[in-house]
Amino acid sequence: MIAVLQWTTLAVCAIVAIARIPSALRGENRSIFGVFVLSTVAVLLSIDVSYQTIDGWLGSHNYANLLLRFVVYGAVLLAGYRIAKAFDACRSIQLITGPVGKAVLAVIGIATVVLFLLADTAGSATGLSGLALRSPDNAALITWYSAAGRLYPAFVAACILPATYLAIGRRLPRAVRAGALLLTVAFAAMASGFFYPLIPTQANYLRAVINYTAIMCLALGLALVWISSLMAKRRNVRRP
Amino acid sequence: MPLPAKAFQLWLHGVAPTASTADICRISGIKRTTLAQQLVRGKVAETTLVSISRALKRSPLEDLAWFESYSELSGAKAPTPAELVSQIATMDLLRAVISRSSPAYGGYGDAGSALTPELSPAPHATSVRNWVDAIDDGELRHRVSAATGVAPQNYSAQLTANRLSPELAVATARAAGVGFTGGLVATGLLTEREAGWAPDARQLALDALSDGDLTALAGERLQSLGKTLRRQEHEHEQTKKIWENLG
Repeated sequence: MIAVLQWTTLAVCAIVAIARIPSALRGENRSIFGVFVLSTVAVLLSIDVSYQTIDGWLGSHNYANLLLRFVVYGAVLLAGYRIAKAFDACRSIQLITGPVGKAVLAVIGIATVVLFLLADTAGSATGLSGLALRSPDNAALITWYSAAGRLYPAFVAACILPATYLAIGRRLPRAVRAGALLLTVAFAAMASGFFYPLIPTQANYLRAVINYTAIMCLALGLALVWISSLMAKRRNVRRP
Repeated sequence: MPLPAKAFQLWLHGVAPTASTADICRISGIKRTTLAQQLVRGKVAETTLVSISRALKRSPLEDLAWFESYSELSGAKAPTPAELVSQIATMDLLRAVISRSSPAYGGYGDAGSALTPELSPAPHATSVRNWVDAIDDGELRHRVSAATGVAPQNYSAQLTANRLSPELAVATARAAGVGFTGGLVATGLLTEREAGWAPDARQLALDALSDGDLTALAGERLQSLGKTLRRQEHEHEQTKKIWENLG
């Protein structure tokens, strides 16, 4: 089940990224193209087969996982900033790019690197599974490292969630409102990263479902808004 | 409620006993699939009946009145002057204001009304809301909502969209105690002529307005038009911003 979700998400992100290459070459909204490329890379880095390969190149010390964290931070920051700007959410932009947002990013970024370097991470393990069992110290370090990795997306998502939620009910073209709904689902899923420790270990698959739902909805929501803008452009060209 | 399919078929058999469904659809311009679907669902839209009635060169008003839910339409009261004026487009009202002004401003002075160009036919872009406003005593929306069970916000949404189901239009007229044709003309179901209005009824009602009343009414209309346009521009700006950032 999870594998289907993973590969579908990868396909969606990759297809949209490829579809946006021409417009990115023309210089239109390269940051959104960047979001799709980063999302594709992030999914690649969370699928077992591709993770093992990439981590192999990087020396099998799970640096690929560290890379994944920063790819996710980058994607979330780019997407969050662009979406907040699109939906005219000044307060969200201020929170994300202002002093608070910079401090949060800096603290989480440093914590991610430090915790990773302190932990024993030898031997490729997708999602760092099993590394926590090596010693109690390692277990604590890995737990905090994962928590830091969820915290930044959750922070950005919580900042934008009100803006996209309000947009669903506004008088906007239907496709845009549907896109806002998908983005709201995506950000709600990301924001729920705060509460992962509450999920019992037996229900671990839930975390994967939530993660991939978030990426999938983000990609689909952005794609929907993009397609609606293309259709509007075409209509405008045809009219005069 | 739309017309029951059984009664509709009975009516159709009565008015065009020899015509096949295909014939009816051809002369009335209704898609065969549309009619078939409405018959299967057991509910025929009033617009369907009106189209067929028109095609058969009958009176849509009388044909509607043949059905039980619209029986009140027979012997309908004439529209009030306020209803008639509500069915004049905002731009026509403004034109009347200018026509009545002194020649220095492009008008004809006191003879203005007689020289004003002919009014554009009803309904206009805000017909429905203007009609309801014209017959509203302040409590009308509550009474309609109580009588029909339609939530006030849904009713308002229909008015804003310049739409009102024929059933609600009749219910509104009933709640306001006015004739039933006003709402049917305002929603565009019937033309003025089909509703039995005199060809110059609206013009006469307009001429009867004093300069003060006409100017105040035109001002109100202009103000709400301005609000609508502003809102549309704002929504357009928002959409543009979204597309610029995410497109």
